[in-house]
Amino acid sequence: MVKEVHKVVRQSGERRIVIANSATSLDESNRNDIVVDGSHCGENVAGYVLKSGARGMIGNDAGIGLEDAGIASLKILEEHGIPAAAVAAMSAEIGVGQSTYEEGVISVANKVAEKLGVKVGMSAKEAANKMFEGLERQTEA
Amino acid sequence: MAKEEQKIVKQLGESRVVVADSAAAMDESNRNDIFVDGSHCGINVGEMALHSGVRGMIGNDAGLGKNEAGVAGLKLLEKHGIPAAAVSCMSAKIGSGMSTYEQGVISVANEVAKKLGVKVGMSAKEAADKMLESLLPKTK
Repeated sequence: MVKEVHKVVRQSGERRIVIANSATSLDESNRNDIVVDGSHCGENVAGYVLKSGARGMIGNDAGIGLEDAGIASLKILEEHGIPAAAVAAMSAEIGVGQSTYEEGVISVANKVAEKLGVKVGMSAKEAANKMFEGLERQTEA
Repeated sequence: MAKEEQKIVKQLGESRVVVADSAAAMDESNRNDIFVDGSHCGINVGEMALHSGVRGMIGNDAGLGKNEAGVAGLKLLEKHGIPAAAVSCMSAKIGSGMSTYEQGVISVANEVAKKLGVKVGMSAKEAADKMLESLLPKTK
């Protein structure tokens, strides 16, 4: 498969906000990143995030679906202390990271994200900034 | 990224029905396969399917969502003559290929899939069989 090129939309030192269409494209180069992607937030996506070492994630809730499978990764990431949230499937085009970032409205956030100020109804862009700034504060402290 | 495990659930000659959690697992080794996965059917997934050369695809409709982006890949594959369909996100767990295959109920099918007998309301398993049978040499 051709490697997807990520778009960096914010950077401060080693910390970045990065946009990807698919969470499967995450790798170790995303170790310090808040990743905003076009993928659903299902269980398998948590694996890609944890493996890459990304520091935050925003994806698509995929209509939430059977047994809340569309947002199952948020809880798993929460257990690992990683802020994560999903945008409503009706707010952004699934599969398109830029749409998640530009148009997405948060429908679900995990507890770690909430502690950083991420709220339901917030734009994905604002939520990504909250995660970014929250991690900066942690680094300074 | 580590190569994701693919499970062969049916084989007829060289043609197979293969199940994986993510569409990103598709590669050239799937050139004769009907691929059933747990991914949404967005435009990027359609591109992955084209790139790999799979002969059919079934994924999750992801609630359809904005501009029906959750099934945008089906139209792309239709243009390339590849049968593709999606299961309702309320019928199967997105992210789990086995759930798509075992529990999925078709909510959307492209025209190529419909011509092979795939219908809305059909189980994903039956839809995959319809696609697989179409790959077999015709005996008259």
